[in-house]
Amino acid sequence: MKARFHDGLTAAVHTVEVTVDGETLAFEVQGQAHRWSLGAVETERVGEAVRVAPGARGAARLVIDATEWAAATLGSDLERRSMRREMKLVIGLTAFAAAIALFVFVGMPLASGPLARHTPPDYERRMGESFEAQLGVALKPCKGALGQAALSRLGQRMESAADSPFRFRVQAVEAPMVNAFALPGGAIMVTDDLIKMAHTPDELAAVIAHEAAHVERRHVMQAVWRSLGLGLALDAVVGGGSGAGQQAVILAGSFTDLRFSRDAESEADARGQALLQALGLSSQGMAPFFERLAAKGQSQTAAEVQELLSSHPDSLRRARESRVRARPGAPAFTPAEWAAIKAVCSGQDRPLRLPRLGGKRTATLVNGSLQPASGLE
Amino acid sequence: MVVAVPLSGEGSSLRIEQRAHLPSFLGLSLKNGLLNLITLTLYRFWGKTEVRRRIWASTYVNDDPLEYTGRGVELFVGFLIALAILGLPFLLATFGAQLLGPAIAGLIVVVMYIGLMFLVGFGMFTAFRYMASRTALRGVRFHLKGRAMDYALSYFGYGWLSAITLGWFWPAAQRRLAGQLWGGLRFGDGRFRFDLEAARKVGVYGPYALGWVGLIVLYIVFAGALFGVMSPMFAAAEGGDTPPVPGLGMMVAIYLLSTAMVVAIVAAFAPYHAASLRSVAAGTSFEGVRFSLDLKAGTMVCLMLSNIFLILVSLGFLMPFVQARTLKLVINRLQTSGAVDLDAIRQSAQAGPRTGEGLADAFGISPI
Repeated sequence: MKARFHDGLTAAVHTVEVTVDGETLAFEVQGQAHRWSLGAVETERVGEAVRVAPGARGAARLVIDATEWAAATLGSDLERRSMRREMKLVIGLTAFAAAIALFVFVGMPLASGPLARHTPPDYERRMGESFEAQLGVALKPCKGALGQAALSRLGQRMESAADSPFRFRVQAVEAPMVNAFALPGGAIMVTDDLIKMAHTPDELAAVIAHEAAHVERRHVMQAVWRSLGLGLALDAVVGGGSGAGQQAVILAGSFTDLRFSRDAESEADARGQALLQALGLSSQGMAPFFERLAAKGQSQTAAEVQELLSSHPDSLRRARESRVRARPGAPAFTPAEWAAIKAVCSGQDRPLRLPRLGGKRTATLVNGSLQPASGLE
Repeated sequence: MVVAVPLSGEGSSLRIEQRAHLPSFLGLSLKNGLLNLITLTLYRFWGKTEVRRRIWASTYVNDDPLEYTGRGVELFVGFLIALAILGLPFLLATFGAQLLGPAIAGLIVVVMYIGLMFLVGFGMFTAFRYMASRTALRGVRFHLKGRAMDYALSYFGYGWLSAITLGWFWPAAQRRLAGQLWGGLRFGDGRFRFDLEAARKVGVYGPYALGWVGLIVLYIVFAGALFGVMSPMFAAAEGGDTPPVPGLGMMVAIYLLSTAMVVAIVAAFAPYHAASLRSVAAGTSFEGVRFSLDLKAGTMVCLMLSNIFLILVSLGFLMPFVQARTLKLVINRLQTSGAVDLDAIRQSAQAGPRTGEGLADAFGISPI
């Protein structure tokens, strides 16, 4: 059959007569015989023709009519060979992708515990400072000094009961969501909406104890390590320069969205209650709080409840379990402290009425200091 | 037996045609998309190679099709190298920055992003060099002269100049940068040249001003619309209440607004893109052949808007189809004058880089 031949040395075009004999393709150019093995050639369909290359690296090309080529090479497994190659490629890549997924969802979670335990506390502390600096842009601390002081005191008491190298710094922040979270290095933040939702000091103390347990058990650092694993995998999949991996790491810090595993959450519940009990405080607030979350989730579609539920999906189970462990004890805050905490984000130290105890007004909060209410007794 | 085609001696004119059968790219788009899904996008190197192979094979120069000789595995290895020398260190630097405290973290991030800006130019040059080296016509390879470092420096410097001049240097910068690429291109021992003066004869600043002013206007309109959509939240905040969490309606509205903004920006700059391509074509010559591009602003606006539409409705699946139709339209508007003796072009010893464009892939800046 007729073919156009490019010798790979110049861009000139030669017309040649090609014969296919068994597994060999033969033609002659300017008195020189060429023989290409059909087992090695590579072909590409180009319009009505087929372009044939002698092998992976040869520059010479034959261009032959597609119909003639198909008839001449009938029975050779050129087509099947390329199909097999593609199939192998797809299988190999899918396996590779599965390995990456395994690394992110199994390997890294398993390794994150030991990694977190072996991270020097000093590193974690500094990382926490970075996180706080980034968070400070979005979350402003509430301005009620008295309320913050009361929260801070509970943090210090938790710290004394816990086995941790970190200072537990509890703080109320303004954010349009019901949430509480622990940062690396001991910072614990509670949103104003969560404080609003807590009915009793016990409930708020339970939430804070839960976060304190996350800090003590270094779940926070564990989550950070997992986010690095995810970042690595993202980089491996979508490429480093897009910054997707870095973003994953940064987001994990700045979005207050460090996810804990189900086991870590249960552990923090139990340990949080143990911390409260060690301090002689009531650990009965956890169950009602979870129950209300779960009940709200069913009866209402308040976006803020959804928000907390999405990161704490099994509230009811945890409510049940924490009720079994619950022990009575002293309230974590005095009535005055509780009133200050309730006003920590809205009052900004404006005069505020305290709840009536036994039908009597007890004190008024003025400019951050507790003053006897007029007409007291 | 041999019949050598007689050499003409003086050469012939060049006729460049793109004959891609577009419907066949729909099937390829679907196949690539699905394989990308199950391989967590790792198939993309092979997918991209197949798209290029088909576009090259349907681009004819004097009735001879171009050939793309690149391989998926080359792109994959290039990507792995970029990952090792770029992705990993940057990721660890980000991670490490968190460990070192806010001040040093800030410094590290700034240094890192300056480095990234520098590497973007590097990536563009190496991607172009790779593609040139994997392109052949009649068995003769193309290749790219020049150093990636020089291009990266130019890109970096022009980038700063453009920033300082609020973008007004950018059209000149793009012309010069394109000149560094096209002027360094070789087909065998045949030379491409770039003549800045010839390129300057095609004005680009008029269309650019249109885009620039359009962008300012669009930003103002966008900011106003965004404020309108989000006003309930501001009102609540003003009243001292906790602002409500943005509802689904508001999120959709913000998303739609942003999409409209992107589309409008693309449309505003489309006339400039057309002018920029015309200018580059006018500055480019190959041996005795000069090029010109008959691409009108209106055509470009229609092309880019329809491309965005296709990509949005297909969630990116139709990218190969969009690339093919774009190249088909642009290449078929390319005109040539003058003559060249193609038969006399000899293969060059340049084999090109062994692996492909990892950096460009990493930055998502490779054109096809």
